[in-house]
Amino acid sequence: MDNQKPSKDLFVPVNREENEGEKISRPSLSFWQDSFIRLRKNMGAMIGLGILIVIAIMAIFGPYMNEYGEFDQDLSRAKMPPKVEALSWLGMDGTLSSVQTADTVEEAKQKALMRFNNQEDFIQTTVLSQGGNGEQAEVEAVYDVYAAKDMQDQPFWFGTDGLGRDLWTRTWMGTRISLYIALLAATIDMIIGVAYGGISAYYGGRVDNIMQRIIEILVGIPNLVIVILMILILEPGIISITIALTITGWIGMARIIRGQVLKLKNQEFVLASKTLGAQDNRVLRKHLVPNVLGLIIINTMFTIPNAIFFEAFLSFIGLGLPTPIASLGTLIEDGFNSLQIYPHILLFPAIVISLIMIAFNVLADGLRDAFDPKMRE
Amino acid sequence: MKKTNWLLLVLALVLSMFLVACSGGGENTGDDGEGDGTETEETENDGNTEGEGEETSGDSEQVLNIMDSAEIPTMDASLATDAVAFQWLGSTMDGLYRLGEDAQAVPGIAMDHEVSEDALTWTFNLREDATWSNGDPVTANDFVYAWQRAVNPDVGSEYGPYMMGGVIKNATAIADGEMPIEELGVTATDDYTLEVQLEKPIPYFESLTTFGTFLPLNQAFVEEQGDQYALEADTLLSNGPFVMTEWNHGEGWKLEKNEDYWDAENVQLQEINVSVVKDTATGVNLYETGEVDRAGLSAEFVDQYRTSDEFRVEEEPVLFYIKMNQEGNEILANVNARKAIQMVIDRQSMVDVILNNGSIPGVGDIPQNFVTHPETGEDFREINGDLVETNVEEAQQLWATAKEELGMDTAELNYLGGDSEVAKNLDAYIKDQLEQLEGLTVNVQSVPFQERLARDTNMDYELQNSGWGPDYIDPNTFLNMWVTDGANNKTGYSNEDYDSMIERANNELAQKPVERFELFLEAEKKLIQEDAVIAPLYQRASAQVWKPYVKGVIINPMGPDYNYKNAYIEGK
Amino acid sequence: MTRYILQRIGYMIITMFLIATFTFFLMKLLPGTPLSAADKLSEEQQAVVLEKYGLNDPVPVQYFNYMVNLTQGDLGISFQFDNREVTTIIMERIGPSMTLGVQAMVIGTILGMLLGLVSAIYHNGILDYGSTFIAVVGKSIPSFVFAGILQYFIGVKLGWFPVALWGTWAHTVLPTIALAIFPIAIAARFMRTEMLEVMGSDYITTARAKGVNKFGVVFKHGLRNALIPLITVLGPLAIGLMTGTLVIENIFAVPGIGEQFVKAINTNDFPIIMGTTLLIAFLFIFIILVIDLMYGVIDPRIRLAEGE
Repeated sequence: MDNQKPSKDLFVPVNREENEGEKISRPSLSFWQDSFIRLRKNMGAMIGLGILIVIAIMAIFGPYMNEYGEFDQDLSRAKMPPKVEALSWLGMDGTLSSVQTADTVEEAKQKALMRFNNQEDFIQTTVLSQGGNGEQAEVEAVYDVYAAKDMQDQPFWFGTDGLGRDLWTRTWMGTRISLYIALLAATIDMIIGVAYGGISAYYGGRVDNIMQRIIEILVGIPNLVIVILMILILEPGIISITIALTITGWIGMARIIRGQVLKLKNQEFVLASKTLGAQDNRVLRKHLVPNVLGLIIINTMFTIPNAIFFEAFLSFIGLGLPTPIASLGTLIEDGFNSLQIYPHILLFPAIVISLIMIAFNVLADGLRDAFDPKMRE
Repeated sequence: MKKTNWLLLVLALVLSMFLVACSGGGENTGDDGEGDGTETEETENDGNTEGEGEETSGDSEQVLNIMDSAEIPTMDASLATDAVAFQWLGSTMDGLYRLGEDAQAVPGIAMDHEVSEDALTWTFNLREDATWSNGDPVTANDFVYAWQRAVNPDVGSEYGPYMMGGVIKNATAIADGEMPIEELGVTATDDYTLEVQLEKPIPYFESLTTFGTFLPLNQAFVEEQGDQYALEADTLLSNGPFVMTEWNHGEGWKLEKNEDYWDAENVQLQEINVSVVKDTATGVNLYETGEVDRAGLSAEFVDQYRTSDEFRVEEEPVLFYIKMNQEGNEILANVNARKAIQMVIDRQSMVDVILNNGSIPGVGDIPQNFVTHPETGEDFREINGDLVETNVEEAQQLWATAKEELGMDTAELNYLGGDSEVAKNLDAYIKDQLEQLEGLTVNVQSVPFQERLARDTNMDYELQNSGWGPDYIDPNTFLNMWVTDGANNKTGYSNEDYDSMIERANNELAQKPVERFELFLEAEKKLIQEDAVIAPLYQRASAQVWKPYVKGVIINPMGPDYNYKNAYIEGK
Repeated sequence: MTRYILQRIGYMIITMFLIATFTFFLMKLLPGTPLSAADKLSEEQQAVVLEKYGLNDPVPVQYFNYMVNLTQGDLGISFQFDNREVTTIIMERIGPSMTLGVQAMVIGTILGMLLGLVSAIYHNGILDYGSTFIAVVGKSIPSFVFAGILQYFIGVKLGWFPVALWGTWAHTVLPTIALAIFPIAIAARFMRTEMLEVMGSDYITTARAKGVNKFGVVFKHGLRNALIPLITVLGPLAIGLMTGTLVIENIFAVPGIGEQFVKAINTNDFPIIMGTTLLIAFLFIFIILVIDLMYGVIDPRIRLAEGE
């Protein structure tokens, strides 16, 4: 046993300096600094942020990148398909195609030419099926719209809409409006919704009771009636949409925060904080809100598309932005009518809105992970 | 405590489920019956998709499957106001006359009529073999009852006073509650003779009698049903080619051939199934899958179906135009400014690209192929020609003159948008076109339907997209509305010459068709060319696809859009 | 507890009364008349017709009459569908909407929760990103576009289900899917968030250390934790779906109540506006009460009732 005891010589006293005990091995970080560092490490979140920045830049500068104006109409160039020289392999070559069937190849060809106003010089036909034996003959016609209109050197990157307006310009102008609405809705949600829900649940009892009944009444009165009255007082436009959103947009958030705060407010850490003499205000801000941050972020992510589509819905029933102002919602609405025939009108605004949403969501997930105190290393 | 809490949770869940089941359950039982019907329909279609080319005439099932754009608001002829109601009233009921081919009135319950010397008394001889679907004979008293009911203030009909006021003796006074309803100028001399007293000679009265508001009602049945009359398929009576046998509100309805109809031998369709479908793309998809035999097309779909054999364009005598409020606005009170607005709009591109459904540019206040010269048979529109032409340069000059006369540099006008399917694009286009006029800014306002009506009534607008369809086949239905203080005028237009022209046409010349027609020609010129009261936009048409096996459907310019009486299925 | 519930029911009546009152007066501020041919009649003629519906009385009198009738369960007759009773119309139309709403909610919630669970367990893995993608795309493509695509590809091109119309159960499939995408997205996102929250907590670590398997523990503890935000969001959403959505009903030609309600507001059909509002408000308040009661059941630490 003895010989297993380490020799005392092996130990050398540490060179002790003053204040050593106070030293912290990791840099001192506030909650927000720490969160930010973790956010930066999250690839997905950074990509999301990148996409959002690119979209924001495009919304600012995109409309000025070609010579077409947002409202410039020209019916002779209506419904032009998108054309980008470099992306012709993606189908963005400025042609339209259509498959026509008939009993004989000749008839099908005739129909195919007729489909594009018999502009034979600019139509290429391919026979897909000869027909016969009870089968119908099929002919595909590819129509070079730009050549037919002699506009080869004036490409529309996203094509044009039913009035010949450039969709590139309109999409980015629309993005501006939609981003504005999105940010507005998110802000309302964060400020009014969180405060309302937090206060209602934290104070509980009579306060909660009254505040919840007010919510019920607000929800009970049909939104549409309020919106119609709103546009009677104000002109239809961005202000009336803003107010319509403000009136009821925050209710969902308030309900969620309330549910969560109700759950948290009786837990030990809150009790401890209170016992140590923390004011209500401090408890709410420092303990409860950070703990529901994840839910706040997730719910905001749902508020944003809701707000964007609420605006589109208002346009749909004629109460939204006055024509010819574009928003992503109204562009999608407009494009939906020609979904089966001119899909490009719908496609680009839909892609932009989906990108915005995916970027926001990935970023939000990153934020959630970053802000979660329990995931701190 | 914990246990009771869980119990409570379960209870709450069960309760909410029950609530749901309760309201859902009632409907489900109803659905089952309907489901059977749909299944049989499908099998029929399955068997026939391949055989389109073959001629199997005579053997085809006489079933027509179609769609309508909305639920029927009412099947009560006195209360009907919209196209859907008039369509299905027209299919289940026969009035004195019925609209046949080329908008000619053909005998319905009336076999013929005589008009008195002063043209104020019309005597209709009714057929004796017409019956209601409960077996009662259709008599002259049914017309007397129905017409009195339409103007009875207690019934609250909107179209009664509108259609009969100023036409049938005392109608207006009765509708205003100043006279008992018995004073209405309609009497049954005997069971099969109806005598009508008119307020003034009405040359187009024959065509009026085909309109829904003038349909007969079976007094005993209506009074027996009371409040419930015409609310369900079984509280309805019909005397026309079809009877409504099923009415699933909001979903659709079914008509079957009326075997007791006096002209039953000329009715071939056994069944008409109607579904309520509001969305154009949905309609087209249903048509593609063979569930319906006809679908309307929007501008986008026309591009796709234009080459199809099944593609059809139906011209309608419905006009759309910009109404200009002369009273509320200084610049619109100026005739040169109004002419500039008329001239600056490129209508051809508008109908070709935006509407793209066969609509034609509007060039006057009477649609094309609506009325013809009583002697030469020439079309009204052809004689008067294009009363407005697009000429941007001249428009600019006129506009400049107008601005000079008024001492203005810039003008701002509010434009009350339309509510058609293409309204948004159309409004944007018109804004763009009008703003070619130097210094003019146009603000498009889109408002809910009822507010539009209210604003029109109160003349609270500057420019307005508006439309008008005929109530009877006579130029008067379009031209009469612009007389001073006319109920539908609402532009503030007031011109003694114009008033006296319309007055003369409807009184002195009522029995001189040629002179009357020529006076209308002159009136239209004055209205559009000289006074530029409205800026015509387009005459509507509708683009549709029809299955080739549907035959014999007559398209009406007014009242019911389609007449299915002689329709049949061949070669399905 | 019973006292609390009774108290809440008392509040419910007051709230309903206030909603009815506010809606009534706001509705009367809507422009125009309920007449469908108002543009064809002179003002005197309009007045004669309005008299029949009692619309010439001063608004407070109309309000009083309406409330008196309401207490007797009489919702009046519709203006746009002449003489038809509001109760009948609502009963006819609520069925299809309810059927679709319930189906969509059940499918949406279950699928969504599964997606969220998978997402949380494989945090930041391929499955996580995959399910996030589904949820986000489901939410950011407007429902009418999704519905249109479903109808065209599954209905027309593949012919698996009826394109539109109402009748058999097969007719409900496409609209149900179109509606369910929304609850799927929401349930998945909330489930994921809450699950992650739970997985980081001490008691899960303890349970895991004791050797309970990962799925079991996360599901059992996590679910309970996630339920509070889930029912808070899904409850009102369920009411929203069950009381009809204009767009889906139009696209699939469903005879539901959503389209009816919007049309009633556009045509000033006052009795229908009131009737539908009251029905939706009642369902909504009822669901909120149920949710509040469930809070206490799910998490016994939550005390809503005073003095208990």
